[in-house]
Amino acid sequence: MSNEVVTNKQLYDFITRCGRCAQCTYGYKETEFELVCPIYKRFNFFTYSLGGMAQLARALDEGKIGLTESVSDVFYHCTGCGACGEMCARVDFRDMVELQHELRAKCVEVGQVPIAHMVTIEGLKKDDNMLQKPKAERGKWAEGLGVKDVTKEKAEVYYHAGCQYCFDEELWTVARTAVNLLKKAGVDVGIAGKDETCCGGRAFEMGYQGEFIKYAESNMEMLRTAGIKTLVTSCSDCYYAFKVLYDMHGKKGDLEVFHITEYLDRLIREGKLKLTKSVPLTVTYHDPCHLGRKIEPWIRQEGKLKAGEIYQPPRDILNSIPGLKLIEMPRIKGNAWCCGAGGGVIDAYPDFALWTALERIDEAKSTGAEAMITACPWCKRNFSDALKEGNGRLKIYDIVELVEQAL
Amino acid sequence: MVNIIVCIKQVFDPEAPVSAYKIDADAKRVVLKGIPPVLSPFDENALEAALRIKDAHDSKITVLSAGRSLSKPVLMKSLAVGADELLLLEDSAFEEMDSYATAFTLASAIRKLGQYDLILTGREAANTNAGTVGSGIAEILGIPSITIVRKVELNDGKVIAERVVSDGYEVIEAPLPSLITVSNELGELRYATVKELVASRKKPIMTWNAQELGVEPPQMRQARLLSLFIPQKESRCEMIEGETAEEMGANLALKLREAKIT
Repeated sequence: MSNEVVTNKQLYDFITRCGRCAQCTYGYKETEFELVCPIYKRFNFFTYSLGGMAQLARALDEGKIGLTESVSDVFYHCTGCGACGEMCARVDFRDMVELQHELRAKCVEVGQVPIAHMVTIEGLKKDDNMLQKPKAERGKWAEGLGVKDVTKEKAEVYYHAGCQYCFDEELWTVARTAVNLLKKAGVDVGIAGKDETCCGGRAFEMGYQGEFIKYAESNMEMLRTAGIKTLVTSCSDCYYAFKVLYDMHGKKGDLEVFHITEYLDRLIREGKLKLTKSVPLTVTYHDPCHLGRKIEPWIRQEGKLKAGEIYQPPRDILNSIPGLKLIEMPRIKGNAWCCGAGGGVIDAYPDFALWTALERIDEAKSTGAEAMITACPWCKRNFSDALKEGNGRLKIYDIVELVEQAL
Repeated sequence: MVNIIVCIKQVFDPEAPVSAYKIDADAKRVVLKGIPPVLSPFDENALEAALRIKDAHDSKITVLSAGRSLSKPVLMKSLAVGADELLLLEDSAFEEMDSYATAFTLASAIRKLGQYDLILTGREAANTNAGTVGSGIAEILGIPSITIVRKVELNDGKVIAERVVSDGYEVIEAPLPSLITVSNELGELRYATVKELVASRKKPIMTWNAQELGVEPPQMRQARLLSLFIPQKESRCEMIEGETAEEMGANLALKLREAKIT
């Protein structure tokens, strides 16, 4: 190692061992060997793949190339969906997305980042959110909801809405429904309203690791002060941040972190939520990357981090809704095609984000489903925007919207 | 037309959390991961001062920055918010310069640029907090300087500045050319949109190395870093005993006297 671009020894070993077989780009036989890497399918050039980025990382480390705008452009086009790590036969140690984390952190250190990310991070520093919205408006989504404020009174469970749900008015109904479902099930739930801040997860994925640590520390301080032991979130990005990234950096402590699908699945099993009304709809389910393969590698972490992928709970919820029929797409779970919004791609390369979403929408429509269900606000936003681009009729729902219809 | 030069230092984000900073004592350097370079915040205030003058007067703003491996995308923010051109002084000789060397290098570049009516700098850099480069440039160029300023205006060929003092501010008038060091009280730098940042790529960026600037780096450096460390902070809490509040108060007073605090 010369330039210390990849400081993690295991990652460095990997980039020197990559045989450029391109297995990182396509799924196994259950997907009929379909491509699963959005950047590789879009650009059809090996540089745009895990193997390609590994070669770039090695060349950077050995000083053969510089960290120029075009090199950084490759790293930032990747949504960080983690499909490559599932497919690569050589990855037997950690999440391959860590390579992207290292490379992007280096891009940040030398200031070689997409302009849109610089603007997003400035907005984050100023207003504590990723959408460049005034922080004073953060609590508006919950107006009239009649839910506890954990900064003023005790609650057993803290519901973290996340930036997208707080500021995207079209998505407010999802977060409001989630809180109402928890209340209906008798959960002692509270929110932080206007005092909630970003989890920092997206900043981390963009390479701004220092900014992430700032938010990890301030969020955990807020939760400790409020006496919170259990966190539930509807945002899969926030879930990944609290569950995995906070733990990776020793910030999580003993906080229990649940995605809303896990928590609702448990409440349904315990009979606290009874799904009795028929919802006559044929649907397919899109696995958000941050609920699946980006969590799954931590199972292999010598027993320390046991996050576990969330593939079954949302399917169990959907199957327990009377009248609803679930049809699977060819690329699901570890082989799932990304929605395109991840890793800051939706900010820096919105056209590519929509292209990726449209591919998934076509796949969903090919199943004959009337609606695609997801469990992440970033996926829902990107799919909804792609549909506006005129890709025909398909409804996009968050899973909690269907649960509410079935009550 | 008013020719304004704004000197901007690129520093690592001073708002990054303390826990993200590490020190490599042997290499005498700060080790950072995922912390971006930014425009030093007081220098951003100086740029905002220049932009406000440009809002009121026909002006040309040249932004000047010196160092090694400067980040163009970061410094181009100055072009995006309204500066007209960017001059980068880039050379391995310009890495980790002390205050004198920095003032000397910047003054040399300003002399070479030739035309200037007003030079603006931040009151101090966010990483060293030395606060001497601005005055140093003025001294080398032989022009007046006004430090720690919260408001700058041009009137009738003169600069009028409000200088922050402990109990208020002084209003100072000086002829042009002058140098002003700007403080945070002036206000934050205006926001750059994505569109402005993209458009800034069409604005001119010049780069000069030490040879082109005609300076001899080894002669410039006056200070040498001997060691770098994070100071150890120790705190000890002692509970003052006593049967009653009065007794505890008296014991506390005795302790304070023993410690020579009172």
